[in-house]
Amino acid sequence: MALKIGIDVGGTFTDFVVTRDDAEPAIYKSLSTPSDPSIAVVNGLTDIAASMHPPLSLEAFAPTIDTIVHGTTVTTNATLTGTGAKCGLLTTEGVRDALEMRRGIREEQYNNRYTNVKPLVPRYLRAGIKGRLDRNGRETAPLDLDSVRKAIDLFRQEGVQAVSICFMNSFANPAHEQAAAELVRAEMPGVYLSVSTDLLPSIRFYERVSTTALNSYVGPKLNHYLDQLVGRLKGIGFKGLLLIMQSNGGVITPQLAREKAALTLLSGPAGGPGAGLFYVRPHGQNKCITTDMGGTSFEASVAVDAPMIKNDGEIARHKIALPMLDIHTIGAGGGSIGWLDEGGMLRMGPQSAGADPGPACYSKGGTLPATTDANVVLGYLDPGFFAGGKMQLDVAAARQAIEEHIAKPMGLSVEEAAAGMYRVACNNMAQGVREVTIKRGFDPREFPFIPAGGAGPIHSCLICEELEIPLQIVPRESSVLCAFGMLMSELKHDFVRTFVSRFEGIDWPQLKTIIDEMAAEGARQLVEERIPEARRRYDVKLDCRYIKQYHEVSFLVPRELIDRRDTAAIARAFHAEHNRLYGYSLEQENTPIEIINVRVQAIGVTDKPAYREEAWAGTDAAHALKGQRAVYIPETKAFKEIPVYDGHRLRFGNRVDGPAMIEQETTAIFVSASYDCAVDALGSFVLFQKGREDLVQSCVKETKETVS
Amino acid sequence: MSKIDPILLSVYARTFKSITDEMSISMEQTTRSPILCEAKDYVTGLYDADGRMLEQTENLPILAFSLAPVCKHIRKLFDGEIYPGDVFFHNDVFSLGNQNNDVAVFKPVFVGEQLVGWTAVKGHQADIGGNVAGGYNPNAVEVWQEALRIPAVKIVERGKLRRDVWNLIFANVRLDIVQHDMKAEMGACTVGERRLVELLNKYGVDSYEAHKQALFDATRKMMEAEIAKIPNGNYAGEGYVYFDGRHVGSKYTIRVDIEVQDRHIKFDYSRTDPQTNGFVNGTYTSSASATILTLLQMVNPDIPHNEGMVQPIEIVIPEGTILNAAYPKATTFGNHLCPPNADAIQRALAPVMPDRVTAGWNNLLASLTTGIDPGTNEKYVDIGFMGLKGGSGGMRGTDGYDHIGMIDASGGVLDQDYEMFEQQTPHTLIRHELLTDSAGAGEWRGGLGVETVFEIGSDDTQLVTFGDGDFEPAFGLFGGKEAGLNFIRLNYPDGQTVVPKNKDLITGVPKGTVYHQVASGGGGYGNPKKRDRKLLREEVRNGVISKDAAMRDYGMTEAELKA
Repeated sequence: MALKIGIDVGGTFTDFVVTRDDAEPAIYKSLSTPSDPSIAVVNGLTDIAASMHPPLSLEAFAPTIDTIVHGTTVTTNATLTGTGAKCGLLTTEGVRDALEMRRGIREEQYNNRYTNVKPLVPRYLRAGIKGRLDRNGRETAPLDLDSVRKAIDLFRQEGVQAVSICFMNSFANPAHEQAAAELVRAEMPGVYLSVSTDLLPSIRFYERVSTTALNSYVGPKLNHYLDQLVGRLKGIGFKGLLLIMQSNGGVITPQLAREKAALTLLSGPAGGPGAGLFYVRPHGQNKCITTDMGGTSFEASVAVDAPMIKNDGEIARHKIALPMLDIHTIGAGGGSIGWLDEGGMLRMGPQSAGADPGPACYSKGGTLPATTDANVVLGYLDPGFFAGGKMQLDVAAARQAIEEHIAKPMGLSVEEAAAGMYRVACNNMAQGVREVTIKRGFDPREFPFIPAGGAGPIHSCLICEELEIPLQIVPRESSVLCAFGMLMSELKHDFVRTFVSRFEGIDWPQLKTIIDEMAAEGARQLVEERIPEARRRYDVKLDCRYIKQYHEVSFLVPRELIDRRDTAAIARAFHAEHNRLYGYSLEQENTPIEIINVRVQAIGVTDKPAYREEAWAGTDAAHALKGQRAVYIPETKAFKEIPVYDGHRLRFGNRVDGPAMIEQETTAIFVSASYDCAVDALGSFVLFQKGREDLVQSCVKETKETVS
Repeated sequence: MSKIDPILLSVYARTFKSITDEMSISMEQTTRSPILCEAKDYVTGLYDADGRMLEQTENLPILAFSLAPVCKHIRKLFDGEIYPGDVFFHNDVFSLGNQNNDVAVFKPVFVGEQLVGWTAVKGHQADIGGNVAGGYNPNAVEVWQEALRIPAVKIVERGKLRRDVWNLIFANVRLDIVQHDMKAEMGACTVGERRLVELLNKYGVDSYEAHKQALFDATRKMMEAEIAKIPNGNYAGEGYVYFDGRHVGSKYTIRVDIEVQDRHIKFDYSRTDPQTNGFVNGTYTSSASATILTLLQMVNPDIPHNEGMVQPIEIVIPEGTILNAAYPKATTFGNHLCPPNADAIQRALAPVMPDRVTAGWNNLLASLTTGIDPGTNEKYVDIGFMGLKGGSGGMRGTDGYDHIGMIDASGGVLDQDYEMFEQQTPHTLIRHELLTDSAGAGEWRGGLGVETVFEIGSDDTQLVTFGDGDFEPAFGLFGGKEAGLNFIRLNYPDGQTVVPKNKDLITGVPKGTVYHQVASGGGGYGNPKKRDRKLLREEVRNGVISKDAAMRDYGMTEAELKA
């Protein structure tokens, strides 16, 4: 009986999902403890131990845990709040300001009050070092170790906690960086060190120096946190495997996370996108849009076989060029505040009431109208059953906030104003979904939509109508989807090397050597992580472009095509991907293609939670009906008494026709008048456009029988 | 007419914005010229059936406000002959274009047989014919020496490409990539068209027409409210242009008379100097764009960009002035008259909008190098974006922005990446750093400028310069100090130093020549003696202000420096 626990630390709650081979996944939540997040982890584990049959002490329970997968926002928060380490930078003489200038961008062009971000390393701690490599990596001036020593003296004197090294053209030859690193290690033992070519040996200086500086900026904080966490877990007798979620959707050991801390900048939400794929499988699908609506933000991402990856991300206006999941975040959540702009138009967010003081209905001192307040007025939230009844919502306070700030100035009734807030919020989220679908060349209508987060399934029908998406799948674990997803993640190590070459003149032995070297490095790490050879895999990607284009397209290349030196087949794959992304290819024109980077991802396959099917329980849902409630129906712009079902009692095959509400302890689902719902074999609530029974064949008994 | 739903109004506004953003991403990802995909020198927009602006994404604002006038022009010119599937090209500066190299694509959008709107993209193309590759010809006196003129031309009719017209155009353009980049512009228009049709299919044309008007009205009110904050009256200001490319020592003055009357603002340039005999001349739309973008920086930045925004603004620029040259004068430099035009407006409004104006911005001085890369034997063309970006002016409460670049782009145009620069050209970068003491001193200092040094790696290199700011620095306001001057210098391997004029064409530059450029800072605002001392100590420590300058310009004492 393998016991695995996924733990996702959020701003308000720390989520836990516990899986065992012989039981349904169990969900727990504990209050987060921002000053030391590991306290909430231990508190949650204590609760979980006590809920075992028979109840266990923490000390008796901890040794039985096989694996803990952990997502953390420690590095994210340090970057967003500007509370990372004091850092020094060794870089090439003459370009020490690249980090601060950020290529000269001002994101808000018409706003003269918009200021630059504070650089990750102050200018006086950015040392320009003599020594130069040309564009092919040949040394044109030797590295001046004396000036490195001088910089080290300054760093020591200033109490620098972390040092970064990034030299011009080092992607083509790491020798200078390595020589400088050796000196730093010798002279400053114990300092946190990031070397650009160890992290990201690929072309584009600004991206590389920014990524390296970010790694140093968050490294000491993450190390400190991991010391606390590992210490506490050891203290309670945990002897299993601890894995840390990384931004690319894979997991790594704490040791590697310590060295490459920047890999965890998106650790928190990275579990979600992969989890979505688990729930679409019973419907014969391999792709989905996963969204997560929290208190202040809404996250959207796409997966086709695997979650989409991007290599040019950004955090707090700093570039990060390590591969990370393509998760688009906008300021829209339950706490997003409604307001009127100077033209009198209604807007929602991005300002948020957060969890404290929270929406007006929380009765914690908030007086501004938030999305959650609108949901209460519209009947989507039961004021007596919020968080399973643990928190009473104040309807009068919600109404008053909306009346004062929205309804009265717009000349609308409170209900009309609330409906407007709901609609604008849904429209904002729909635009967020467009960012990861239409803008990436995907048609959202072809994707099942997975709404996660406690409030997600209240809004998903209107979002899906806006985007004409006919199928939604709400997992039972939707309120803790990220934690669940962490349990399904593989060990992943990304490597990249710049290899500039036109297709017609590829140096095949050289290309093969580069790939083999990266794979060997990946194998070395997987061995350390005790992954047997049969469970190791190596994916090769090439970043290519049409000659003289500036942006590359990254695409998967089967290893045998490289072994066969099959340029034609590789070119076809590139044309196809370019066409998918941008609506055209230059295959007909015979335009030459060039390679810029070669990537290898080493993957160690982990054990997954079991895929358990429920027994078919018939279409009738009457046993789960718990009452009626007046709810706002957007289609008719009027309130209507509709049935309310207890989601915990709905079983495989049960049918609920919209409009209806389905409630679970941590989630409310609004099935609008345009959708019906069926429960699938995993227990997920599948919402399909009325009349589109063809989409839920797997929830129908007859089909199940013929299949088996 | 359909009833106005205030909520649906927000939905329309947000969706229009996301459509033009999506068109912009399509351009960024598919174009080949670095001017487009790296520097983002293009604009995307959405217009109603009559060519009125619904929304724009303005990476380079100076191009932006000529799209709606040209759209209206095409609508009238082709009335009765506009069909679904048509595509139009346009660059002609004598029919409302702003610059020859800024070539626009317009695509009418239909629902059924009804024309409901237009999508448009305008980008700075790497070449558009004329005497000099890249278009900047400091010796030009007439438009034909600068570029191929493309008045409104229907390039695709009912979905069918007019191959003969296409061939005629591109037979007169030097670089093949321009054909691909024009296809990218057309592709982006198609992306926008699809989205607008989707939107109208959902809500219907009547609803769209009614809400569009309501959106214009709401935006106009926002703009009027901003103008109403300016006291009524008449305000005058001047900006200066140095050297017309032909007459050494020449100087021209831009004079603006601004009249504010309640909710209406008028910019009258009637007293501006006459046009030059060279290529230093504006067109009506480039000069009007300059006026609008400067005003937009003084008002609430959240005002949507649609027809309603421009309605309260009146702009008078008589033909025959340096801001609106008469046919067939050369005008390629016209976009770069934006900085002195902005100077004139800031100076005029400073007394009555002291919280909104900025001190002077660094004026553009740019260069373009071309040659054969000996490593690859291929021709390269490089606009030195990293070298040309100086600092912006300080304003009350906020320092200027370091290394932002000319006001006509306001931080929308980016540096080349250093390593990509060394891959794409044979040059070796020696220095690209913030320049100490380049910012004008002030309680709120100007943004810092940059110093750029690289070694030229090809023989027989050609260098074109275009710009200003080497005679007059960015000005200070309310006791703030002016900044430094721009320059470009070439140090030849034989020890000779050549200083190109600010509009010049230099040929035969040998390999090993060191190129040295300064784009200086912005002007300061307010008395520098009042600048925060803690901030100054940090700046001295960081070496962006020298100790000497801190004592001389800011009145720091030794004791304050040590504290």
